[in-house]
Amino acid sequence: MSWIDIGSIEDIPLRGARVVKTPRGCIAVFRTGLQEAYAVSDTCPHKGGPLSDGIVHDRKVTCPLHNWVFSLETGQAQGADEGAIETFPLKVDGGRILLDGTSVGNKSAA
Amino acid sequence: MKKLVVIGAGMASGRMLEHLFDADPAAYEVTLFNAEPRGNYNRLMLSPVLSGEKTYEEIVTHDEAWYADHKVTCRFGEKVTGIDRDRKVVIGEKGEVAYDKLVIATGSNPFIIPLPGHDLEGVIAYRDLEDTNRMIDLGAQPDAKAVVIGGGLLGLEAAAGLRLRGVDVTVVHIMGHLMERQLDEAAGYLLRKSLTEKGIKVMCKANSKEILGEDGKVRALLLDDGTELPCDLLVMAVGIRPSTALASEAGLAVGKGVHVDDQMVTSDADILSLGECVEHNGAIFGLVAPLYDQAKVLANTLLGKPDTFVNKEVSTKLKVTGCDLFSAGDFAEGETREDIVFRDPARGVYKRLVLEGNRIVGAVMYGDTADGAWFYSHIKDATDVAEMRDTLIFGPAFQGGGTADPLAAVAALPDDAEICGCNGVCKGTIVDAIKGGAGDLPSLKAQTKASGSCGTCTGLVEQLLELTLGDSYAAPAAQPICACCDLTHEDVRRLIKSKELKSQPAVWQELGWKTPNGCHVCRPAVNFYLLADWPLEYQDDLQSRFVNERKHANIQKDGTFSVMPRMWGGITTPDELRAIADAADKFKVPTVKVTGGQRIDLLGVKGEDLPAIWADLNRAGMVSGHAYSKGLRTVKTCVGTDHCRFGTQDSTGLGIKLEKLLWGSWTPHKVKLGVSGCPRNCAEATCKDVGIVCVDSGYQVGVAGAAGMDVKETERLADATTEEEAIELTTAFIQLYRENAKYLDRPYKWVAKVGLDWVKERVVDDLDSRRALVERFEISQSVYRKDPWADHVENERKRYAPLADLTLEAAE
Amino acid sequence: MDGATDMTTRPFIEVSEVWVPEGDRLVLSKGTYGDLAEFASVSERESFARGEGLPGKAWDEGRPVVLKEFDGSYFKRTEAAKAAGLTAAVAIPVFAGTQLKAVLVTLCSDDDSRMGAIEVWSGEGNMLTLEDGYYGAAKQFEFVSQHVHFQRGQGLPGGVWGANTPLLFRDLGAGYKFVRSESAGRAGLTWGLGLPLPSPTGRPYVLTLLTATGTPLARRFEIWDARAARVGTANEAVLIDGICAREGSLYDHDTERRIKAFQGPIGQVLGTGLPVVDASAAGQHGYRTLVALPIHSSREVTHVVAWYC
Repeated sequence: MSWIDIGSIEDIPLRGARVVKTPRGCIAVFRTGLQEAYAVSDTCPHKGGPLSDGIVHDRKVTCPLHNWVFSLETGQAQGADEGAIETFPLKVDGGRILLDGTSVGNKSAA
Repeated sequence: MKKLVVIGAGMASGRMLEHLFDADPAAYEVTLFNAEPRGNYNRLMLSPVLSGEKTYEEIVTHDEAWYADHKVTCRFGEKVTGIDRDRKVVIGEKGEVAYDKLVIATGSNPFIIPLPGHDLEGVIAYRDLEDTNRMIDLGAQPDAKAVVIGGGLLGLEAAAGLRLRGVDVTVVHIMGHLMERQLDEAAGYLLRKSLTEKGIKVMCKANSKEILGEDGKVRALLLDDGTELPCDLLVMAVGIRPSTALASEAGLAVGKGVHVDDQMVTSDADILSLGECVEHNGAIFGLVAPLYDQAKVLANTLLGKPDTFVNKEVSTKLKVTGCDLFSAGDFAEGETREDIVFRDPARGVYKRLVLEGNRIVGAVMYGDTADGAWFYSHIKDATDVAEMRDTLIFGPAFQGGGTADPLAAVAALPDDAEICGCNGVCKGTIVDAIKGGAGDLPSLKAQTKASGSCGTCTGLVEQLLELTLGDSYAAPAAQPICACCDLTHEDVRRLIKSKELKSQPAVWQELGWKTPNGCHVCRPAVNFYLLADWPLEYQDDLQSRFVNERKHANIQKDGTFSVMPRMWGGITTPDELRAIADAADKFKVPTVKVTGGQRIDLLGVKGEDLPAIWADLNRAGMVSGHAYSKGLRTVKTCVGTDHCRFGTQDSTGLGIKLEKLLWGSWTPHKVKLGVSGCPRNCAEATCKDVGIVCVDSGYQVGVAGAAGMDVKETERLADATTEEEAIELTTAFIQLYRENAKYLDRPYKWVAKVGLDWVKERVVDDLDSRRALVERFEISQSVYRKDPWADHVENERKRYAPLADLTLEAAE
Repeated sequence: MDGATDMTTRPFIEVSEVWVPEGDRLVLSKGTYGDLAEFASVSERESFARGEGLPGKAWDEGRPVVLKEFDGSYFKRTEAAKAAGLTAAVAIPVFAGTQLKAVLVTLCSDDDSRMGAIEVWSGEGNMLTLEDGYYGAAKQFEFVSQHVHFQRGQGLPGGVWGANTPLLFRDLGAGYKFVRSESAGRAGLTWGLGLPLPSPTGRPYVLTLLTATGTPLARRFEIWDARAARVGTANEAVLIDGICAREGSLYDHDTERRIKAFQGPIGQVLGTGLPVVDASAAGQHGYRTLVALPIHSSREVTHVVAWYC
């Protein structure tokens, strides 16, 4: 893993999200707790809705277009919907958000 | 724990024990005596057991397990021989037991006519399971014959049961017609006819003289006109007498029955009594309904709770399959009484109502008892039926309101009929899903998406559930908000107010939420309720808002947004138009559209460009049009006295004033206003949430219109004489709506639920209430009447940009 | 027959069909066939004129008909029935006044263990005698029934006749001791449903279905009262009696169970006036197949009776 510092956790509103542009496409970083965050693909597999604009609850997010719900931990769609979004390794260290560079296609690795 | 001893395990004492254990299982340690060698069973259902239509096991109300669960010491088959009130002890055949409280429920004994021969073998009463089995066994004998003395309820049920068991039965009744206590002669005649059709012989005005026997066993009944009726069994069902021997031997006050007061207490403060053995205000009891009332009162008295027994009217039903009979009240003839009678000889129907003054005092029905309960309720309530006199006998159906088959329409739909328009789901798909196991609305929503969007088809989907599943599906009366809780929207709103919950964590905690912080359904609703009730204490939580309201722009299907600045009252200026055009060019906006709300929409703006385009529009003096919010959208106007030759008032001016007053406030759902300058109504005000039509004399303020999925005309709230008054009424109405409606109910839905009269009371009639509402609205507006765009441009700008851009690094 | 099949799990009634008049012929509206797919497809292609075949005979003669020997009879689907192992059939016409609404046909197969009875009783004067019946392996009970008669009000058939209403009896063997009970007990027969079958001939007919716990004809019976005299003007029905192997007695003194027209399978019978056979298990309280039959007067559906297996 090559950890990249992408910002302070305080830059993301609690139960909100910010987008990170990567070579692999847009990723949404969700802050589910004071020092807890998850990184997943920003694109809903249903019809491409921006998941970063969805309502965050517990460790899940609801797509704003057609209400598909995804687990931020596993990426799996919940309920009767079938589908999944990609998840990316992320950790919060001393208030900073660290994202795994190789998983998002970042070539500058250690 | 105090000791309670109960003598008699009949239906009255059984019900009493149920109430007692339900209310406080630890109050008493109970010992229960029963002379019969069994616990409580539904004695009323002995007749179906006799006939074979039920088994004894089916009618047992309290089995061994029930007594064990409630730790009742059962002494069944043991007679109580005495009560020692000084020592407070009950003496049974097998020993004594002490009591703190004693309940006597010894029931009644069947009356045996002291005819010669009444003690012969084969002469029985009809009271308990032993008598019933005796009659059942008679059926095993070929060519068995039985005579039943007594043509009342019990005697006829015995006869019917015996007949079904194959016995040749004759009923002997001393009065002129059967069941003369409950039926008049005409109904008695029909009943007799029905019994004869079952092969039962009936003899009325027949007086029994002697019971003849042979070798100590009954062989025939002799009537006083000389007729001999041979029989192998003679059943006496001529009445019951309260069983008071035990009570009177113990020195309690006894008349026809054991005397009890309104709390079911006897002349001894520690001894209570209920059931067929008691006498209350001179009345004794033979039907079960008052006994159940007594049971409740007695249980409450034992627990020290105040209660009073009131003897109410009862109705009678005969449990003979194929004989439909109903009787209630008092139908004796009298000078001050009149009758309404209905007969249908072809159907064997007879109905009679007895009226005194303008009230029904008695009802007798044979053959058609469908309306029995309805007439009975009028007897009980002593309703004044003067208005209904002409059609009274025909029952409730004729008092207005026929009934169509509510499910017939849905049943007739073909399988490919579209039920859910939003998601394109047809009847066949839904029915297949139900048959496949999706047995309720939430699972159907999850599986088929039906009813998952706008919710208009929910009623139809529920009908399909009823259609397919029958009565195993019952539409839930009140839907909880979502899976996170068991409460309805109304419950949560009320509790937020009454428990003064002022934050989301308070709501989750105090109202028992099942999830840590709600879900996309309940959190927006709770967020709104909190800010509506506590505008100064609660801060609106952006993360609890749907994306549109968070980003103050409408999200489109491709993830871009629409931007709509306000055009107050639909009036604009050349400078504003230029600013809009410039923004469209600068941000390469694909579509520019004029909306029905009298303003301009810029569609296709990228999310990251939002703060910039807002800043540009702000510089031109424009603010957010809130085209995306659950708040005030637009105020449509037509030109009034400014230009129009028909204008009666300055409708445009009023519209602009209203928009400037109301903009920025959050409401349960979007609010659209309209102000028309005259009744020609060019602003289409009469289908708005609040629509004002100007007239010469002032302003007609209408509310609760709709022009979306439902189309509905506004209802008149009030007529205002001045512009100030019109504004005041509108503001008060909107504040009342904000404080009370369910989240996502448009005003027309809310008014339908609470009623326009209720709204008028608080907004129109009560001036203090109106002023207070306006005041509270202003307090809320002190927080919210501001441009969110400007706020976001200044404070939230960076949140619209990506947190980081890793593509730049890769380019190196 | 299929010797390899576990006999105790084969249902007493293998096939139930509803035939409805279309023009001057009877066509198949719905049928439940279990695993007998071949017989199902043969039946779907069949139709009967009045007087033709078993359903046509019931229609023409205005009465229920029992047939226990297909070979050389008027039965049209003999080959297919033999291949499916079916050996007996009962056709029950549903009349509203003189108008035929439908014919319900049930088909059974012989074996050594299945006990039960489907009987047709007809009345003349003051006596009800057995017209015919299918008894499975309950041969002795069959013999007794053939030699017994009932008067008005006597026993299950006589009781139904005397009251002109369906009746549900418990405990045919043990408590119910009239005449046939001993042999009923030996055959293990426990419950009996009796219903009046109105006929345009004016003659009283009573159908009885007797079931044994081990090889049940049905595990659940329901009787619904739909008369206006009971439910008023609404097109509804009230449950007046019922028994279920799982739930026990279905009748509750305190709470009334009411159903509207088209609400579930029973509501379907009430709304259309036609019998319903259903194997979808939805709304069937956990059972596989349901047969529900309407009883008509000339004016209305008076009762709906149902049996579930």
